[in-house]
Amino acid sequence: MSMDKSAPVVEPTGLDRHQLRDLLTGSVTSIGVALLLVVIIGLTWVGPNFLSTSNVTIMGSFVAIPMIVAAFAGFALLAGVVDLSIGSMLGFSSNICAALMAAGWPLAGAIPVALVACLICGAINATAIVIFGADTIAATLGMLVALRGMTYIISGPVGMIAAFDNDFYNLVNLTVGPLPLIFVFSLVVIGLAAFIVSRTRRGRHIQAVGGDDRAAARAGISVTRVRFVALMLSALGAGIGGILYVGQLGSASNYTGTGLEFQVYAAMMIGGYSILRGGIGNPIGAALGLLVVAGTSNIIDVRAISPYLTNIIVGLMLLAAVLLDRLRGGDAYE
Amino acid sequence: MTEMAATTPSTTPGRWNALRANLPTGWGAAATVALAWIALIVASGIHRADFLSHQTVLAVSFTMAIVGVLAVAQALIGMSGAILDLSQPTGLIMSAAVVAWLLERNVPIPLVVVAGILVGAAWGFANASIVVLAKLNPIIVTLATNFIGGAVMFLVYQNAQAPLKSSFSDFGRSYFLGLPNIWWPMLILILVVGYFLPRTRYGRHMIAVGGNRFAAQTRGVSLKKTRLAVFSIAGAIVGGAGVLFACSNGPFAPTAGATFQLPVIASVILAGCSLSGGRGNVWLILLSVGFLSTVPTSLVFFGLNSNWQAVFQGIILIVAVSIDGSRTKRTQR
Repeated sequence: MSMDKSAPVVEPTGLDRHQLRDLLTGSVTSIGVALLLVVIIGLTWVGPNFLSTSNVTIMGSFVAIPMIVAAFAGFALLAGVVDLSIGSMLGFSSNICAALMAAGWPLAGAIPVALVACLICGAINATAIVIFGADTIAATLGMLVALRGMTYIISGPVGMIAAFDNDFYNLVNLTVGPLPLIFVFSLVVIGLAAFIVSRTRRGRHIQAVGGDDRAAARAGISVTRVRFVALMLSALGAGIGGILYVGQLGSASNYTGTGLEFQVYAAMMIGGYSILRGGIGNPIGAALGLLVVAGTSNIIDVRAISPYLTNIIVGLMLLAAVLLDRLRGGDAYE
Repeated sequence: MTEMAATTPSTTPGRWNALRANLPTGWGAAATVALAWIALIVASGIHRADFLSHQTVLAVSFTMAIVGVLAVAQALIGMSGAILDLSQPTGLIMSAAVVAWLLERNVPIPLVVVAGILVGAAWGFANASIVVLAKLNPIIVTLATNFIGGAVMFLVYQNAQAPLKSSFSDFGRSYFLGLPNIWWPMLILILVVGYFLPRTRYGRHMIAVGGNRFAAQTRGVSLKKTRLAVFSIAGAIVGGAGVLFACSNGPFAPTAGATFQLPVIASVILAGCSLSGGRGNVWLILLSVGFLSTVPTSLVFFGLNSNWQAVFQGIILIVAVSIDGSRTKRTQR
């Protein structure tokens, strides 16, 4: 602020007052403060063990795959099309991958098949929503249920497929210092997504389409193509997440990914995204939101309080986050 | 019904368009669903002649009962422009759990039924209060309250059941005129709501708010009061579904309501009720719920296990919303 007084003409490259205010009241800042609070509560309530190597490893491997899924699903949210089917899609992908591995396929064969299957489902979502104009939430809810059914069919009467590949398991569960390799990988994915969203032309196109599709169309952006690609990316992210779960757990079950969409979207909304209005949100906010949720549930786990309390807290945080978004200038519903 | 008809401007002259403009709202949806239903029954009957039996009718109508009641509540929410109530599963089970709890304490059955309905209404009112006071979108509010409500119920109980040896449970497991007892309240509800909605002032206000909220507001309809009323009434209906659920089901966990979510939304959309409000005919829910409830039984006769049920229901929903979407696109042009 003192910079403004000394320099009456604001430097075009520096932080002017508006940018500073946006930075202080923006969604990434408020979620950053929330994360800080979680860490402080964790350190005082759980003790220094909260940030011990083993606990950080547990939290890191717990949050890594949802973070990768969120990085991809964020493109769809940003383009203004929410994809509720990501949880089932993840279960579908992990069960296809595990079933093929159990049938003796090499990993290099199973992975592409699982990813292509997810992309086909993503294309079905996109066709219904973008080309026929179906309601996004209802259409992807249909996909959610259909794919959960497929997952049950693939996993068979036992409901579980063991698919242990020694090299894959070791790779996914490798740790770099206190951090699991997969967590480092998810940070890289988030960083790449953040770069694409804020620093590239395509990223700005996605934001433009989500913010105001008519204006974007007038500016010569193909709304249809952007949304189609965004939904395909969201499906691809869920597919990758499913395959990584096979590596992490050495198996897939008919329950894999159940309810993941609510976890991920609640965390993303806490982190500044909106599932009803495109054009807002940042992958870094999504990552912070997931860390807040992971930290909260870790505190509750370690203190051996009922795990259902996590859902109550996450639900309340979700309401607080959307209220904050509205007070910041989001759409009011009347 | 004709006063609710979205006047489709016939851009190209012709007898077909003139015919179409004179038909009541939702005829397209009704015809599509009726044809699909007939096709399904005929195909299943040809595949296995014993499909056409009283046993099938019982299975289908039993499935219809609770889905149909919930669909009426969902249709009211959608037609009033509040899009979706995702907290229905929690409202349903909350009411059913209270009903089971009261019955165990020998509270008279009429009081128990009223209590179940009131629990649902209170749940709806609580949701609407958040929507109205904080001016937040109902989808997100009900997503969060469903999350919170389900977790709170788990803190209170794990498994509930209405006492088996009581006239309450006997009612839920008996038949009237060859159909399950719980089927009849659903039929009456659909007929009554479908009749009064377009014919009363309050019903028309509700649809007006869904169609164009600001136009309704300038005509003196209070948005806040309408929202509170619609959510409370829809909640009371969900509470009624909870009573039917409690008397016809075995032990149930707090999450037992989740399986109803999809068939309910699908049947509302298939019935031609717009989720974005202002359009719909509650009577057609009877057709769409009937069709969707026949699917699981048909699949069993085709030798597909119950997991295929979810696959088919999901696909039907995607197809239905695609048809609904292209229909709205056409009228907007």
